[in-house]
Amino acid sequence: MEIDSKEVRKMIFALVAVATVATLALGFTEQLTRAPIQEARKAAMLTLLGQVLPIHDNDAMQDSFDYTLSDKPTRFYPAFNQKGELQALAWQIVAPDGYAGKIHMIVAVDVFAKLVAMRVIEHRETPGLGDGIVDDQVWLNAFAGKDLVSTHWNVKKDGGDFDQFTGATITPRAVVHAVQRALVVFQKNQKALQKKALSEQAKIASTQ
Amino acid sequence: MQQKEIINNGLWHNNVVFSQLLGMCPLLGVTTSAENGFWMGAATLLVLLGSNFVVSLVRDWIPKNVRIPAYIIIIASFVTIIDLSMNAWLHDMHMILGLFIPLIVVNCSILGRAEAFASKNSVMDSLIDALATGAGFMLALIALGSVRELLGKGELFGFDLFGANYPDVLMFILPPGAFIALAFILAGVNILNQYSKKRADSAAQPNPSPQGQPS
Repeated sequence: MEIDSKEVRKMIFALVAVATVATLALGFTEQLTRAPIQEARKAAMLTLLGQVLPIHDNDAMQDSFDYTLSDKPTRFYPAFNQKGELQALAWQIVAPDGYAGKIHMIVAVDVFAKLVAMRVIEHRETPGLGDGIVDDQVWLNAFAGKDLVSTHWNVKKDGGDFDQFTGATITPRAVVHAVQRALVVFQKNQKALQKKALSEQAKIASTQ
Repeated sequence: MQQKEIINNGLWHNNVVFSQLLGMCPLLGVTTSAENGFWMGAATLLVLLGSNFVVSLVRDWIPKNVRIPAYIIIIASFVTIIDLSMNAWLHDMHMILGLFIPLIVVNCSILGRAEAFASKNSVMDSLIDALATGAGFMLALIALGSVRELLGKGELFGFDLFGANYPDVLMFILPPGAFIALAFILAGVNILNQYSKKRADSAAQPNPSPQGQPS
């Protein structure tokens, strides 16, 4: 098939025109949605923090800071009471050994190295079997106040303190172990973390 | 083509799911509840409206040889716009539907409508076609989502219908349930079509054609 150069020019022009208009439209949309997307993410995070952190008097998002936890930069969200005393820290953890891949969670640990609460953010566990880790309130409440010393961090099947679900042992096992690991690294870094939380807050307070 | 015929085709006779069996990936993937089905259908409908509109608008300026890449750019742009908008204003639903929103790009029914309909018809007809086809797809998504949610959780659009004692049939929430429920829905659609065809045939029989040729 022979195509004369006029035809080719027409084709190139058409594609360039379509691509240009598409790019402009996308750029415009991105500008329009950038702020709302950030707001929505922030709102989702704030809801989550409200669920795990104890009642606090500060904006945990605003006072958040980065700290390198066992070679991984991690964002910490502190809860301060009215007197400006640190109550607890929340951060995201991952259980890599869920039944269907990674389970992303958020944990909050208080200054006595006791777990305040744990919530699951993202997971691919079997609906109806493993997903009790998201909304089984009785199971979730069992985590409150647990620490490393007085708790057996295993599911009951393995001789621990936490219920497994009917038909799903792997999922709660992964979650329980991930929370335990979080407590261990917290204890190792506790002093430095608390110091950093206070100094970061002082920094933010001084700039306002 | 008559506009009534366009609507009939999109909604029923040529339905993306019931008759063409296209768009299986989002259909089976996200329909664990009627609400998920609704929003997936709404997102697809909007993309279809946008792409059919633009494709029919530029149909005389796009040379035949490069029409497919041009359509893909147009469709991909609308999908990205919908993806960003849902992320901004329907954040929770966007988290649930996840990857299936960007995957609307490869829903072949959309490129199919652009190529088979919008590239040959007026803007008005193309918009009607998009509405009908999109609504037909949405219908299938909601139907499958409703069946799975009802059997799997005893709920419909999040409302508990069967009470707390309903034994959830977990399988319908899991992937195999999607296939089984879809099979029954398709069987039902086929029975319905056969029935209406039989009725049309028997209505035609008392008046055989004047030539009396056997059909």
